[in-house]
Amino acid sequence: MTPDIDTPAHREAIPASDNPLGMEGIEFIEYATRQPHALGQALEAMGFRLVARHRSREVLLYRQGAMNLVVNAHPEDARVSATEGGAPVISAIALRVDDAGRAHARCLALGAWDVASHARAMELHIPAIHGPGGSRFYFVDRWREFSIYDVDFLPVADADPAPPALAGMRYFGVVQYVGPGRVDDWHTYYERLLGFTPVPAHERFGILPKGRLMRSPGGAFLWQLVEPLGWDDDLDMPQESLQRIGIGVPDVADAVRQLGARGVRFVDSAALHPEDRGALTETVLGGVAFELVLQPRSPS
Amino acid sequence: MNTPAAHARRDALAGFGMDTITLAGPLEARLAAMAEAGFSQVMLGARDLTGHPGGVAGAVAALRASGLRPTGFQVLRDFEGLAGALHGYKVDIAQAMLEMCAALESPVLLACSSVSRHASDDPEILAADLRKLAMLALPLGIRVAYEGLSWGRTINEYTTAWDIVCRADMPNLGAGIDSYHILAARTPLDALDELDPERIFLVQLSDFMWRETQSFEDRMTTARTFRVFPGEGAHSEAVAEIVLRLERLGYGGDYSFEVFNDDYQQLPLATVTGRARRAAAWLREDVLHRAVPLPAWAGSHPPAR
Repeated sequence: MTPDIDTPAHREAIPASDNPLGMEGIEFIEYATRQPHALGQALEAMGFRLVARHRSREVLLYRQGAMNLVVNAHPEDARVSATEGGAPVISAIALRVDDAGRAHARCLALGAWDVASHARAMELHIPAIHGPGGSRFYFVDRWREFSIYDVDFLPVADADPAPPALAGMRYFGVVQYVGPGRVDDWHTYYERLLGFTPVPAHERFGILPKGRLMRSPGGAFLWQLVEPLGWDDDLDMPQESLQRIGIGVPDVADAVRQLGARGVRFVDSAALHPEDRGALTETVLGGVAFELVLQPRSPS
Repeated sequence: MNTPAAHARRDALAGFGMDTITLAGPLEARLAAMAEAGFSQVMLGARDLTGHPGGVAGAVAALRASGLRPTGFQVLRDFEGLAGALHGYKVDIAQAMLEMCAALESPVLLACSSVSRHASDDPEILAADLRKLAMLALPLGIRVAYEGLSWGRTINEYTTAWDIVCRADMPNLGAGIDSYHILAARTPLDALDELDPERIFLVQLSDFMWRETQSFEDRMTTARTFRVFPGEGAHSEAVAEIVLRLERLGYGGDYSFEVFNDDYQQLPLATVTGRARRAAAWLREDVLHRAVPLPAWAGSHPPAR
């Protein structure tokens, strides 16, 4: 935490805390796309299974293990992806917090932009703020006692509602591309609004250890801010975006082997061996890639 | 505008720009006059967009067509220090202005210190509000330049404005320096040396014709009707010193001429842009002693483009 947030604010009391939102990890990650079937195939190759469909919109829920992944092809939302040359984009991250309303109000008080809700009758209104590019951060607090998906989604017939994770995969983090000279800006955004803390430079994970690494409060996942090489100051500011999902696995070589058998191709996969720290899938559909990161299974 | 002579003219003016508020007439004519005079950047105001017959989109298209790059966008007033419904109202206004700023792809929003009697004078509260403003600007890639108006109620000098910027401590919040307000408030210049050049996001230059502006009323009236270009006024030595101090400090950003002047509003555009060119030449050659690059066609190297 930075001390400034903890100074008494004049409009509301913002309590000092290492985890001001009571964050406990990622509830789901959402892609927006106009190609839900093509993306669905790519996700199935990665081990995700279609488990439910939204009641009123063209939105699909994929799952494996503890990872929920939403494919949003609702025309209003999928329009976001039209600006990216038609490639699917990571359009939202839903964060598990103590109290969604309080988390949302705190962020707005600190200068976050509110996202208008489009919930229909009897659907959940999930509060959200604007993130990088056209993305959003949702705040979800109903994940202990029941599932938000039971309200808005209908299960797919005959589908296992809780398919196991392939190769022990689970969400590890998100890589965000930032514009030239923008690492400090976004660092401040995650630090002040959401309570992320920088990871010391000597702690590095995966195969692409560049950029600024931050840890979510509670430590459930990491956030990597990367200023891509080759962006020219003379050109217009490139689109900032949530670029890819990092997936933690206990054994990189085993995961690469299992995924390879399902048709997933890796960048430079020939060079991998068991002690490797990570692997990067080839980009499909013009922008979808996953990064595997070595993450020993926790004792629990 | 792509002749070697035009390139040479632009190089000589590099780093200097004009404000749209100095000129009269339609936006397109003002932008064309600046480009014709050799300027490559322009400081825009919200009224340029709202008053355009084509609306915001029309003004953005006019800017693109002019080939000028935006220096910044002005001006958010009286944002900091308000409470309750007033604060909420100002947040709405700030969001709308940030969206206009983003539409122009302007890198900087100018926010000037509050004159409101309803605003708090507690520096921690002022800093918290500017921190919030900078957070609102952050996802849009906009930097906020906070300027101390010389008739601001609590913050009316660059020194106290800088203190608030430091308290707020946001990477995209910095100082907006305006020579007029420094001269009008007679703030000592040596404190300029204390600023972090990386956190000066905008420098606006102008002068005026009399020695002093004692009251806030005087400062406001002079500021809004009778500023002149650098080198034309009664404080040329001080303007020169401001620029020299900023350069010594390592400031590498833009200078924009913010010259509100009722007379200039009644003169042909080319007459006024000519005076702006003369001001840029004075600063460049007589003050900064920068070498004017040879025209591309006079050197041994072929033109860059």
